[in-house]
Amino acid sequence: MAHILLVEPDRQLAATYRQALERARHDVAVAHGAQAAIMAADSARPDIVILELQLVEHSGIEFLYEFRSYQDWQAVPVIVQSQVPSGEFKGSWQLLQGELGVQAYLYKPRTSLRQLLAAVEELNPIKT
Amino acid sequence: MWREKERTGTSPALSQQLLLSIAEELKLPLLQIARQAEQASLDGPADLMAIRTTADSALQLLDSYVLGVRLSLERAQLDIESVSVSSVLYDAGQQLDALARNYGVALELNVAGRFGPVLAHRQGLQAALVSLGAALIEALPAQESAQLKLQLATHRSRYGIVAGLYADTRQLSNEALRRGRRLQRHSRQPLLNLTHTSGAGIFVADTILQAMALRLRTSRHHRLYGLGTVLQPSRQIQLV
Repeated sequence: MAHILLVEPDRQLAATYRQALERARHDVAVAHGAQAAIMAADSARPDIVILELQLVEHSGIEFLYEFRSYQDWQAVPVIVQSQVPSGEFKGSWQLLQGELGVQAYLYKPRTSLRQLLAAVEELNPIKT
Repeated sequence: MWREKERTGTSPALSQQLLLSIAEELKLPLLQIARQAEQASLDGPADLMAIRTTADSALQLLDSYVLGVRLSLERAQLDIESVSVSSVLYDAGQQLDALARNYGVALELNVAGRFGPVLAHRQGLQAALVSLGAALIEALPAQESAQLKLQLATHRSRYGIVAGLYADTRQLSNEALRRGRRLQRHSRQPLLNLTHTSGAGIFVADTILQAMALRLRTSRHHRLYGLGTVLQPSRQIQLV
């Protein structure tokens, strides 16, 4: 079981992802925006973050800068699961992977729940 | 290109951009349906009402887009009539009710005060309000608003009768709308402060209103911020 912070702006999708992750016995905190995500991280102490880059007001990248600025969260694995196709941020992939420590990228429209769960299992630091 | 602009009211590039926004926007309901179906296959029965509402809302967006294009093409012979704003808002509220429930948004109708009829294309006005409402319903939770409430309301201003949708969110500003229109061609998220999607519902409403020689604009209703349009009162004698 891992504590997962799911940063997903769409309320309906968030509910579906949460259900699937909880069914796989993970503990899930949901935030719909960047600011709420920082507060949720503070209380949920996540082992893994699943992040959409397209958020309202502050982007997922802004969230990552803030998130990584705290020592406690510098090593927390982050999975970007986004509506933005990978080709569109080719130029910033190095930034995401290197400086901001993104471990995996999933293109949301083509990622099934099973694939998401598999990515979480692969990066879960708490092996059961 | 100039001829095309004159005929449809929008430039070809802008029409293509609107189509692109809609294609991006429609990924969301399809994704919701696909994942809900997958979740149901793993974990028991699906919430069929939610799936139906999602599909209906996507179809509504497509219908509104088609209506917007049709009205733009028929601009010279639009069927403008005397319309009761309250009844259009009521009908729009009915159409948005299920989607609002899906998103946990409380929908309220505020038509206090008696306003006479206005001049409008009834179907167009309703489609614009529904399109706008659906976009705002989806956007509100992502804005981290303290209150998930959306009000369909009308009031009198010095320019005419204003009909629109209002929420307790400062993100609904003139600047956000202006920047969104400017970025529509260049960004996958032009209304950055308002919605995490392409904002197609808002641009479709904009297109429909333009076809009716109206404008989508920001406005205030009591302490709420919103988007709506100004309608001109009909001089037709009211018999009731």
